[in-house]
Amino acid sequence: MKLLAQLLHNRKALVGVAILATVILVAIFAPLLTEYSPTQRVGRPHQPPSADHLLGTTRLGYDVFTRLLYGARISLAVGFGAGLLITVIGTVLGIIAGYKGGVVDEVITFLTNMVLVIPNLPLLLVLAAFIGQASPLVIAVILGFTSWAWGVRVTRSETLSIRQRDFVKSAEMLGEPGWRIMAFEIFPNLISIVGINFIGSVLFAVITEATLEFLGLGDPNTVSWGIMLYNAQNASALSVGAWWDILTPCVALAVLGLGLALINFAIDEIANPRLRTGGMLARWTGLIRRGEGKL
Amino acid sequence: MAFLLRRVVFYLAAFVAAATINFFLPRLMPGDPIQKMFAGAGSDLSLENLNALKLTFGFIDAPIGEQYLAYLRSVFTGDLGRSVRFFPLPVTDLLGRALIWTVGLVGTATIIAFTIGTLLGVMAAWRRGTRFDTVISLASIFSSSVPAVVVSLITLFAFGYTLGWFPNGYAADPMLDPSWGWEYIASVLYHGTLPMLTMVIVLTGGFAVTMRNNMINLLGEDYIVMGRAKGLSDQGVMLWYAARNALLPTVSALAISLGAVLGGSLVTEVVFNYPGMGNTLYQAILARDYPVIQGALLIMTAAMLVANFVVDLSYVLLDPRLKRA
Repeated sequence: MKLLAQLLHNRKALVGVAILATVILVAIFAPLLTEYSPTQRVGRPHQPPSADHLLGTTRLGYDVFTRLLYGARISLAVGFGAGLLITVIGTVLGIIAGYKGGVVDEVITFLTNMVLVIPNLPLLLVLAAFIGQASPLVIAVILGFTSWAWGVRVTRSETLSIRQRDFVKSAEMLGEPGWRIMAFEIFPNLISIVGINFIGSVLFAVITEATLEFLGLGDPNTVSWGIMLYNAQNASALSVGAWWDILTPCVALAVLGLGLALINFAIDEIANPRLRTGGMLARWTGLIRRGEGKL
Repeated sequence: MAFLLRRVVFYLAAFVAAATINFFLPRLMPGDPIQKMFAGAGSDLSLENLNALKLTFGFIDAPIGEQYLAYLRSVFTGDLGRSVRFFPLPVTDLLGRALIWTVGLVGTATIIAFTIGTLLGVMAAWRRGTRFDTVISLASIFSSSVPAVVVSLITLFAFGYTLGWFPNGYAADPMLDPSWGWEYIASVLYHGTLPMLTMVIVLTGGFAVTMRNNMINLLGEDYIVMGRAKGLSDQGVMLWYAARNALLPTVSALAISLGAVLGGSLVTEVVFNYPGMGNTLYQAILARDYPVIQGALLIMTAAMLVANFVVDLSYVLLDPRLKRA
């Protein structure tokens, strides 16, 4: 709760949350914002933006604006679904490895390092190639089970330092069971790491889903930003001058990515006060630094 | 030395893990794995050639354990099978040619991005809270969060199609014969500019953010104050006291991000039709050329492991404590 309150006082976080909230609202209320259906021909092919079609039409005559709105649903669903899976696996394994130590730690750390050095996107491509046209759900599950390693690494190292603190020692003295200590003593102190991991994983999942679909490994009947890119590229949108077809999903992905990254940066600043600039803190450090000459 | 030896053993294990994934994937999928793996060749494959391929990938009449060993044996003897699309071209030849382009592209882009990003990060941290810091931080966040596919497409649209300054694809003018002549090299540089620019844009932000945050964490340390107290110049303290120590975590971040670099280069190569590993893998996926797909994963993993080992070596040089460990 304190983290949330602090987030509301951070300008980067506010902009990031505003972007994310807009995308979520647009995804929920898509049917109210457009009169067309995302999977119906509603105009002539490759019409430039006009009052009828705010962002023009695709080569098949679909309305780009409508597909953008509905596509946000898939991008967000895959992002948050896979992000949650990645974070849960990473946090649980990280806390267990850091707290239990010994053989358990060795095994988890070994697995983690191994997953970290096998290049992620090529691995995903190989998996997706064998599976065939992967639905968004399948993509989310694959992402979840292949991308947790970074989370384990940071959670584990943070757990290692928390384990040495007095409140953990005293809980151990009181004879609390291990799972209770991990869940109620250690986990609450990791909340900013978990937050960064979660938002970062959502960002990663959104980008990777779009990339896999752009490369033609997704299900072409899905309405998502990645499939929009794929269809536009297949229709040679750039070389025939239909820039609206390909730039729309590009801008959408860039804006959503920026929003998520801003939130993450803000959490990092709140968790690590030295990184903060602006506002009260800048004045305070300014006072301190006055003796140091110009910095 | 023990440190490096441990790393080498670990890298071998990681490579075997990648080979294991390759071994089990076709066997776990529904349907006949042999049919699936080599279907891309259609009827071009004679029975004799098919049997040779089956042997390479461990499809022999034996228990699964022996099949696995047979596959590992062919991997470690450097036999990755033959492409079914370009039969009988060996996978290693096909991918080896592509690897040169990717290493050139990724290597140069990483060095440029690392240099620019680190310098910007140092300067932003030194002037933290100023407008310079804000602009650099925001630009870095943006650069590190925008998907490589988006940057590639927008760069191609802007400089390739709209302005027409640079070519839209290929690594060199297809009319020229590869040679060490000036004309060919100039063509390679000209064609490589846009993919390079794309990758530098994608990579620089991450290096800058990491470096900035490391620096800021270090600037409060006592030895920084000491350096100032000694009357060293601002630049001296900034570069020799703070930046040098902040570089260490950045280098290990570089090792982790190498995988992402390969991923980013894959997409960029596809968009710019650049003949590197990523594009070869992509073309293989479109043609369902499974031997090439599997070989690409192995060679990319190996490239990643070698790069990681180089980073380990540089780590030993940067942090003398590791030499004794």
